[in-house]
Amino acid sequence: MNRFGVVYRKEMAAIFYSPIAYAVLSVFSLLMGYTFCAQLFHTRGTSLVPMLFQAALLLILTIPLLTMRQFSEERRSGTLELLLSTPVSNLTLVIGKYFASLTLVAILLCVMLVYPIALEIVAEPDWGPIISGYIGLFALSSALIASGLAISALTSNQMIAGVLSTGLFLTLWMAEVLGVILPSPLDHFAIGLSLDSRFTPFVTGAVYLSDFGWFLIITLLGILLCVGALVRR
Amino acid sequence: MSSPLVVSSGLSKQFGQRLVVDNVSFTISRGEVFGLLGPNGSGKSTILRMLVGCLRPSCGTAMVAGFDVISDGCTARARLGYAPEDLPIYASMRVEEFLSMMALLKGVSAKRLDCALEKVSTVLDLSDILRRRMAQLSRGFRQRVNIAQALLNDPPLLIFDEPTNGLDPRQIIDCRKLILKLARNHAVLITSHILSEVEKIADRAAFLSDGRLLGIETVRKNGVVIGDLESRFLELTDTT
Repeated sequence: MNRFGVVYRKEMAAIFYSPIAYAVLSVFSLLMGYTFCAQLFHTRGTSLVPMLFQAALLLILTIPLLTMRQFSEERRSGTLELLLSTPVSNLTLVIGKYFASLTLVAILLCVMLVYPIALEIVAEPDWGPIISGYIGLFALSSALIASGLAISALTSNQMIAGVLSTGLFLTLWMAEVLGVILPSPLDHFAIGLSLDSRFTPFVTGAVYLSDFGWFLIITLLGILLCVGALVRR
Repeated sequence: MSSPLVVSSGLSKQFGQRLVVDNVSFTISRGEVFGLLGPNGSGKSTILRMLVGCLRPSCGTAMVAGFDVISDGCTARARLGYAPEDLPIYASMRVEEFLSMMALLKGVSAKRLDCALEKVSTVLDLSDILRRRMAQLSRGFRQRVNIAQALLNDPPLLIFDEPTNGLDPRQIIDCRKLILKLARNHAVLITSHILSEVEKIADRAAFLSDGRLLGIETVRKNGVVIGDLESRFLELTDTT
């Protein structure tokens, strides 16, 4: 097994050993299930758009819980020093942790597939926006995880990492609102930064390369910042 | 003594305005036990952290087996085994899982993994605790696991930060014997704030105070004690 595989396996074991993973999976599934049932039986709607938006907001709130301890806890307990003394590159370490968190989110999204499948049984949903919505959720998660890891690498206090990540993600989600207040050209800048404005097209079935590229750039920046935070010491 | 395995030249580390390590230079050869001696806060552990690549020196260079610890970090780190002062614990892991993970991270192939584990388990008498969770280990066993993980890939340089700290007298004696045994084929760098401890193990000892190297004293040559660390220490600290 290569070093990436070792780091990835260690992180997966750590995620599933901790109760946080199960709590996130349970709360996420419960809330999504509740919304799905309410929508299906109460409004009789066959669109998953509200659910996809709710999933995005839940990811914004839950991903910090997954990423906050990744580096902060290792730094606090001293295990980071042990890992850094091995011939593993900082990039391998970061990528291993990033993919482990992304795997958990992928599991969450797989669990969420039960809703369009159930909808298919009782109605005829439009699969285009559903598929692009799931792609959007995955791209959003990737950007959030990389940013959360970078914040976690900057501090040895996991609570601070968690609070800062949640604050940043919510600010970015709501940045579009700032666009209304700010003068031109700052309003365009705020809208361009907004997670909401980047995610919305996916939910409506429109996958733009610019939106996908934006999530990819945030992911790469987050990973680079994280590697930089380990190197700068 | 052969060519130096560790070459530290003008190594310095500054945290903000505070100079923690100031222009420290020394070499360590294969087959030698080199002790870094100094009170708490004198910069011993910071020097080790720079050598193992956890900290970037503010100034100066450090080479391990001919590789710069910054520009050739991964190659340099593959040639050293580091046991920090307190073994950090992955509470969820069993000893066997922890050692396997560390071995694979250090580049031991999957084929040689069992062999490497068996070897360190035998040397450090860990066979009975391999299935035990890390969080359940006593101080003595944790220190043994700590040393074991440093030996996994049989590196030419071993770095032990306060290896006898917190051990009972019997364990201290065993630890000393082990270090002397390992020094036959490795270069060993140890730190301690206890003068007599270094005197019993080291071939040479460097005195540190406030991050500065006060001097390097030869303690023994060909196994025969020739230096008196205590008087040399008093001499050096009196002049500063």
